[in-house]
Amino acid sequence: MAELTWGRRYLMCPPRYFEIAYEINPWMHRDVTVDPDRALAQWEGLRRTLEEAGADVELLDPVPGAPDLVFTANAGFVNAGRFVPSNFAHPERQVETPHDLAWFIQHDYRIDRLPANVHYEGAGDSLPFGKVLLAGYRTRSDAASHVHLSALLHVAVRSIELLDDRLYHLDLTFCPLDERRAIIAPTAWDAYGRRVVASVVAEPLVLSADEALSFCANSIVVGKTVIMPCCPPPVGRQLERWGFDVAICAVDEFLKAGGGCRCLTLPLDIDLTTSVSPG
Amino acid sequence: MTALPAQPERELIELTGHIIDSLTLAKILDLILEAGADYRIIDVDIGRTNLDPSTVHLEVTASDHDLLAALVERLQIHGANRVARQEAVLEPADRDGVLPVGFYATTNLPTRVLINGRWLTVDNPEMDCGLVVDQSTMTARTVPMHRIRAGDLVVVGMSGVEVDAPERPRGASPFEFMTSEVSPEKPKALLVAEVARRIGDAKRHGGRVLAVCGPAVVHTGAASEVARLVHDGWIDVLFAGNGFAAHDIEANVLGTSLGVSVGEGRPVEHGHANHLRVINEIRRRGSIAAAVDDGFITGGVMFECVKRGVPFVLAGSIRDDGPLPEVQTDVVAAVDAMRSHLHRVTIALMLASTLHSIATGNILPAGVETYCVDINPAVVTKLGDRGSHQALGVVTDVGLFLRDLVSCLRDRAHG
Repeated sequence: MAELTWGRRYLMCPPRYFEIAYEINPWMHRDVTVDPDRALAQWEGLRRTLEEAGADVELLDPVPGAPDLVFTANAGFVNAGRFVPSNFAHPERQVETPHDLAWFIQHDYRIDRLPANVHYEGAGDSLPFGKVLLAGYRTRSDAASHVHLSALLHVAVRSIELLDDRLYHLDLTFCPLDERRAIIAPTAWDAYGRRVVASVVAEPLVLSADEALSFCANSIVVGKTVIMPCCPPPVGRQLERWGFDVAICAVDEFLKAGGGCRCLTLPLDIDLTTSVSPG
Repeated sequence: MTALPAQPERELIELTGHIIDSLTLAKILDLILEAGADYRIIDVDIGRTNLDPSTVHLEVTASDHDLLAALVERLQIHGANRVARQEAVLEPADRDGVLPVGFYATTNLPTRVLINGRWLTVDNPEMDCGLVVDQSTMTARTVPMHRIRAGDLVVVGMSGVEVDAPERPRGASPFEFMTSEVSPEKPKALLVAEVARRIGDAKRHGGRVLAVCGPAVVHTGAASEVARLVHDGWIDVLFAGNGFAAHDIEANVLGTSLGVSVGEGRPVEHGHANHLRVINEIRRRGSIAAAVDDGFITGGVMFECVKRGVPFVLAGSIRDDGPLPEVQTDVVAAVDAMRSHLHRVTIALMLASTLHSIATGNILPAGVETYCVDINPAVVTKLGDRGSHQALGVVTDVGLFLRDLVSCLRDRAHG
């Protein structure tokens, strides 16, 4: 089975200032404290696992006052040397964008901006699969962002409505495994979204509602390695049947803020100009 | 006539993106219907490749303002945006009988005009007129060119004006398959029965039936059937010309139509002057009504109209003999008189008449069910070609049609 053409280069941000400073999803509670040493150790563990699986990791400097900067998946979307920065839905996270932009400008990415009046939360809400970009909307990103995203990236977008506030980003419900397979959490989508994904994903690994809430879809795929925050046994068995190696990376300090492995990484090597063809 | 439904609230929305493959369009349409609203697809632009966005404009209608507002808000979640409508542009007429340059030329279709954020429904759709708005009463009406008065606020350009697409009468067969395509092959008995049923329904709902008659109605011996329809109260207003009225009276008084015996079908001696003599006698009495009153006319269509108080308009033409006193020789005044009788007319029977049918077709709203009965398919075609798309053609001998119609309506009345 053809491996993903992307997933070997990531941007990560050390959790030096990570804390639960506000509540913008059902997982966040300000009275829950983050153990900074444990968080750092888990983050280092994830970085090490990625590198061992064969991925390169680049670093974004942490900034005080932007605790969620650690969730780089939401910084924006990178495609073939171009960066589309997010338009965060919540003011609490809008402070991150100047720091994200500074890094990408400094690293010679071309910046393509969406109109200011549409919300969009980057790779958290958009993941390539086959010839299309699956894009979630409703909770964080606006459906209206998709037509602009399609024009900027020159890619066919399939809009998926996210129904469950707990699974507020697409990357909590969908994880591309290779060119034909993906982990999917259809209970988080409406009926139209399920039909759209069914028409795109040839061999889905379907999560139950409980499995989806374990955040196991918020995983990273590096070639044949699936790096997961947790792995329910039936999911692990299916992945192994398909020939994947499962690496569990505990990131429970970050789950306190509603983020798993995928949320902590932003793929830098997506190139939809090669994986997508018109027609 | 059926009471006019309350005007629905409406919004124009635009949806763009990969809305077909993402099933967003399907979802939007489902959401509209599930909310108890309705939609009309204004236009669709499908992307050429799967990278090109598709764009759809929908008009969403709902009976209730709040329902529509809530629905439009919900649709925005899925990327559908409200499109602001442009208001109609008004310009005062600067002289009587002349429309401003660039005036909006009307159709006979149901028409709305957006003024100060409100959609005004045009009271009297009529083709080839100007559209005059009265802002004090917030009403809009069609006004023919010659009736424009200096200062009338006339709609110019196309913005802020909407018309509904033509709709054919709906109902059970045989009209389901019937279109204005004229064909002598259609089963006449079924069609006549259906026309009778629709006349019955229209009358029951307070609608009025207009008959437009040509002289061939008399020539074919069918005037007595029309007289019967008037007598029995099926016809509420009659449009015709000098010829129809003259021959109807000639047939009653002298038994001929254009000098030919109606009973025997043979020309009578010196019969060519019969209609002149009859017209002359009516003119002597001053009016058809006076001739009915003094017993000169004792039957026929005009007799029944006078007796039953059914209004008629006789419009003159350049080749008329006489004419009869009631004939309006000013054609513009004649058409105005015809307009004044269209109130609540829901069915028009065009019976073997070309010129008067076309003139009537010009002033009828498209919503009036129009049955054009003629042995000549060209008449029906001509009506359609001139914009009266609502006209359904029945290609047959008008005499046969009327005999069947009278029989059907009598069965209905007695059944």
